[in-house]
Amino acid sequence: MGFLAWLEATGLAEWVRSSTAGYPSMIALHALGMAIMVGLSLLLDMRILGWFSGIPLDSLQRFFRLAWIGFGINFISGSFLFSAQATSYIVDWVFMSKMTLVLLGAVTAGFLQPAVAKTAPGAQLSGGTKAVAGVAIVVWVVAIVMGRLTAYL
Amino acid sequence: MDAFLDSLMKWLVSTPINGLVLNYAWSWPTLESLHFLALCTLMGSLLIMDLRLIGFNRIIPLQAVHSLMPVAIVSFAINLITGLGFIFGDPHTYFANWAFWAKMLLVVAAGLNFLLYFTQVEPKIIKLGPNEPTPALAKAVGAMSLVFWFGVLSFGRLLPYLGTGGG
Repeated sequence: MGFLAWLEATGLAEWVRSSTAGYPSMIALHALGMAIMVGLSLLLDMRILGWFSGIPLDSLQRFFRLAWIGFGINFISGSFLFSAQATSYIVDWVFMSKMTLVLLGAVTAGFLQPAVAKTAPGAQLSGGTKAVAGVAIVVWVVAIVMGRLTAYL
Repeated sequence: MDAFLDSLMKWLVSTPINGLVLNYAWSWPTLESLHFLALCTLMGSLLIMDLRLIGFNRIIPLQAVHSLMPVAIVSFAINLITGLGFIFGDPHTYFANWAFWAKMLLVVAAGLNFLLYFTQVEPKIIKLGPNEPTPALAKAVGAMSLVFWFGVLSFGRLLPYLGTGGG
């Protein structure tokens, strides 16, 4: 708890909490990064499951990279937002569930990106890869819902 | 305009939808969750389609990119319906907020841009080979689409902070 209390007392956390631009700018960037990471991930997962099969599998790599840029924006802005109320967030089970799911979502993307890359052109994706994509869709959807509910519970 | 908005607000809050949105603790969070999920799939499908229109990722056949259009349309429909839910629930807050009007203006701009795509760009690009470069108008329409929709997203998220409060 010492670290989180320190974090919350930093000038950066104070800026996020009480300046005019701090919280709004971080929350807007957080939504932007979310739309890029989760939006692309959901579409890529659907492609892996067999939707939009006209989109070649070897084109997915660049969208995975773009998704990671979104994740970076989301992670950095999220860290700022977390710092503002670190000690309350850490004991909020809705927030902690969301964090677990976001982490899981990132793990699925980290697994799927190389799995798709090493599938030979024209070859079928393995059942395991498809299963992970299916799980990923559920994980992202629940993560978004939990993120929204963080504002209520 | 003010008289019109006043009567519109009176009507909105007199409808049963207003009660549905306000009288249950779960209504608002459910609408918000759906609004956020659909904005993700809308932006995800737009990124793939518009980047190809602009000319990136030419290994994706133009016709295949087009197969994402139903995702964008269904996502927008969900956001339109859930968004109307917010307005029926709390019209006073939204109508008094300039960021809301900025967001709506950008939605209209994005709609007109889509009309331009539908009437001027799509008829041309369906005649192109799958991996051909796109014409200048297609690039412009794709870029404008991303600018408008990311603007919609930003103003939407900033709504409670820019205008006169509200969610």
